[in-house]
Amino acid sequence: MSAVKRYLPVAVRIALGGIFIYAALPKIADPATFAGSVANYRILPYFWSYFTAAVLPFLELICGVLLVTGYRVRACALIVAALNVVFMAALASLIVRGLDIDCGCFGGGKTSPWLALSRDAVFLAMAGAVLWFEEKRTSPPVVRS
Amino acid sequence: MAKTTVSIIEISLIVLVAAALGVFWNRTLLADAWHGAPTRQAAPAQAGEQLPMPVGLAQVKEMLDAGQAVVVDARSAASFREEHIAGALPLPLEEVKKRSGKSPLLEKVSKDSVVIAYCNGFSCHDSMELAKLLIGSGFGSVYVFEGGLPEWRDAGYPVAKGER
Repeated sequence: MSAVKRYLPVAVRIALGGIFIYAALPKIADPATFAGSVANYRILPYFWSYFTAAVLPFLELICGVLLVTGYRVRACALIVAALNVVFMAALASLIVRGLDIDCGCFGGGKTSPWLALSRDAVFLAMAGAVLWFEEKRTSPPVVRS
Repeated sequence: MAKTTVSIIEISLIVLVAAALGVFWNRTLLADAWHGAPTRQAAPAQAGEQLPMPVGLAQVKEMLDAGQAVVVDARSAASFREEHIAGALPLPLEEVKKRSGKSPLLEKVSKDSVVIAYCNGFSCHDSMELAKLLIGSGFGSVYVFEGGLPEWRDAGYPVAKGER
């Protein structure tokens, strides 16, 4: 087995987990600001912006940590993929409605919806790759006669 | 057990744990949001500096309806045109800063009247800054509506578009 084949799955999994941990920390540190970012999307009503801001970063953090440690990878990759689909839908709705706001993806800073959308597409692909590698790893080996 | 079932159970567990942690960690913030009174910890006041008082959604509505207060919008003129609290006056923070607290609009407003500043709520500090400038330029009772336009809009209260 070549080195790439052997280490690529691990590298993708740890990178994806790391990105999610990195995204979660500033939001956990300042939930009120993140609630503002969520509210700027004008999708959720008042209280639910806060609720999302309270819970979402912890979901990202837990999945990030589990992905990095390699524990319950399949479930986490599925959650991360689902989250990215939701993020992309929200970002697409920004573009459609012509709202020019910060995506709030990694806490502060201003990122255009298009850039954030393409970035999330990459993360989605990474989650898909992690799932695929995991599927290959755990499926029973083909018995050769 | 089938792989899918295991995954569904694991996913549910992870989501539940995240929700529990998130709600517990942010219980104060969530309780405030639930009661419609988002409170950020105010920066420690400097000696002698008078800080504007926060005011809640219900009071803003009441005072505006009764004509007891002048509601000013600290956001940009463009944002004001797009959407603002019906009955509010545009008073972009940037403009007030440039004129060091003076604005032609404000000259019509008596220094004794109650002024309520708002912006985009939550993370927006412009209303607080504007309110401080107003206090600095001699207004006696200045309040900040921290929930701002998002809370107002979500409460179903009237908003308006265009110039004023």
